[in-house]
Amino acid sequence: MTRVLVPLAILEGESVSTGLPTLLATMDVTVLGYHVLPEQTPPDQARLQYEDRATAALTDLVGAFEAAGGSADHRLVFTHDRERTVDRVADEVAADAYAVTGATGSVDRLLVALTGDLVVDRITAFVAELVGDREIGVTLFLATDDEPGGRDSIAAAADSLAERALDIETILAVDEPPLEALVEAATTHDAIVMGERSPSLRSFLLGEEADRVAAEAVGPVLVVREESTDAATTREQGIDADRASQRED
Amino acid sequence: MSDPSSAGGTNVEGESPRVEPTIETDEVTITDDAELERTLGLTGGLAIGIGTMIGAGIFVFPGLAAGRAGPAAAGSFAIGAFIALLVALPASELATAMPKSGGGYYYISRGLGTLPGAVVGLSLWFGLVFATAFYLVGFGYYAVDTLAELGVPVGDGLVIPLALLFGAGVTVLNVTGTENAAKLQNGIVALLLSILIVFLGYGGLDALGIVGEPSAPEQFAPFGTMPVLTTAALVFTSYLGFAQVATVAGEIRDPGRNLPLAMVGSVLVVGVLYVAAIFVATGAFGSERLSTFGETAMVEVGRHYFGPAGAVAIVFGGLLATMSSANASVLSTSRAIYAVSKDALLPRRASHINLRYGTPHVALGMAGGPILVLVATGRVELLAEVASFLHLVTYGLLCVALLALRRADPSWYDPDFRVPGYPVVPILGALASFALIGFMQRTSQLVGIGIMLATAGWYAYYGRDVTLKGVVE
Repeated sequence: MTRVLVPLAILEGESVSTGLPTLLATMDVTVLGYHVLPEQTPPDQARLQYEDRATAALTDLVGAFEAAGGSADHRLVFTHDRERTVDRVADEVAADAYAVTGATGSVDRLLVALTGDLVVDRITAFVAELVGDREIGVTLFLATDDEPGGRDSIAAAADSLAERALDIETILAVDEPPLEALVEAATTHDAIVMGERSPSLRSFLLGEEADRVAAEAVGPVLVVREESTDAATTREQGIDADRASQRED
Repeated sequence: MSDPSSAGGTNVEGESPRVEPTIETDEVTITDDAELERTLGLTGGLAIGIGTMIGAGIFVFPGLAAGRAGPAAAGSFAIGAFIALLVALPASELATAMPKSGGGYYYISRGLGTLPGAVVGLSLWFGLVFATAFYLVGFGYYAVDTLAELGVPVGDGLVIPLALLFGAGVTVLNVTGTENAAKLQNGIVALLLSILIVFLGYGGLDALGIVGEPSAPEQFAPFGTMPVLTTAALVFTSYLGFAQVATVAGEIRDPGRNLPLAMVGSVLVVGVLYVAAIFVATGAFGSERLSTFGETAMVEVGRHYFGPAGAVAIVFGGLLATMSSANASVLSTSRAIYAVSKDALLPRRASHINLRYGTPHVALGMAGGPILVLVATGRVELLAEVASFLHLVTYGLLCVALLALRRADPSWYDPDFRVPGYPVVPILGALASFALIGFMQRTSQLVGIGIMLATAGWYAYYGRDVTLKGVVE
């Protein structure tokens, strides 16, 4: 089964809108409640004070996902570093995607961005699983400078999804700023699916693309992750294999 | 769920130590319901250790130490480094066996029991308060010198007011500030190390007579060996930072590797720099003249080698270094208070976190308030020695705790790092720590003993029924 991680700043009142549990009903969901602390505060100190409250909120959220027909569990993390925590938990639960929550009612049509570093097959496979046998339309979106090539790849993606009897439309944005075009297209859709971008200078300066899209579009954004789950261990320089295996004991 | 262990006993308010089973991994501490992310790497750990220590040894002590011991003050710093190493190694073993916030207090309370634990935990609080006050007074001298370099000579009368102002500022910023100052701290430490390496490198060549004018040869230990030892006791304050790494042990990634490297590494780095700094400083002026420059003698040394630019660089470095020492110590103090309060040896509300900023404002206040009182006394040497006294007691007991744990060998005791040269190193570490106390001024010893008796009294009144020995999460 495919797993989606839903990170939430649980003690700052972040929650999920009604449409998200329904949209993710076909998925396994891990709700990651996190609380970011200033460095003056030891995480354990915050845990003693806030754990019960956070756990209660997370239990309610898991209940909402289960009521919508999905299966869900939760994790609670106190941290100084949100990014590290989300990456670690995503690797540990082998999440295929994570959600940037937004406001949405019931989802009738998804916007699926194929632009990016991730192989298109991984995104379409995720979308097929997400939609399942539900009446949710899919709009494939691709921004490119190479019109014929782009037309071919979007058609191939549409074909692979058409086999699953999904209602498909396509948008090909040629020579337009990709992000602006995507946000423009998002206005007529309830939720967005996109691939994870590898870190770049641009994302370092402006923030992650998914977060920028989520900030512009109102609906939730599902970000499909790279397949490999050992990203965390390669990121940690200087930690050799036997240390990584110590995590088991 | 968070039901504390009944084995812990209760204090007079009926609170018990909050002890829960946890699983430690390299990246996270897992409790029943939550996870605590480890976010500090080796660089972060080294920055805490070096950042806490470097302010005092190089920027405050050279003039004072040279006045007492002559060029042999370099030997005093070397003795300090050696003792610090003898303690850093056992501390590393204990830290990897118990990678928890609380540092020395935690190891001693678990290894030796509640009374030594309470005395050490509360003494560490006061030890850090004395150390921070000492750094702040050092900051005051540098602030006055900075103004003088800028052409605003205000005189030493403003040292204490400026130190008080800055001390209050640090406390308030730590309560209200939620920006990530850790990166800033790393940058400051890197900048300081660069300034010092250039400065000491050139000065060292000069002092050896390879470049520049050969300096007048001076008797190495003009006052004999006793001042070398008493000076070692005074300047030991320059080595208090390595154990502060252990107070954030619960937040360090891959603790089995990073904790020993950060503790031992920071002692080695600052030890070498201190000895070099004394060597260069006495090479520039001779110890007698150096001592007349007082707390900011290094500024004159910078002027001697590099002219006005050198003086400005050292003044700037001294400001940064004393600031970073003071800030790091305030943070450690708040963590020390938290660790004791979690174990019901201080009221639980001491570790309360405020909702607005998410910071432990009560603990920070319990650090900042006494610090300001002590700064107001302005007694640099007394502050430094009492800080060292209280830390040295902890260090000695920490070595004893290691010996006790190794002998009892409880099933939970499984350190990743084992001290080399056991049992010689911890025995020497304990003896050296206690012995160094003997070389302090009588007043410092009396104040230190008074504080320890007061903490024991507090234990007898407040936490007599709390049991902590072997109570490991």
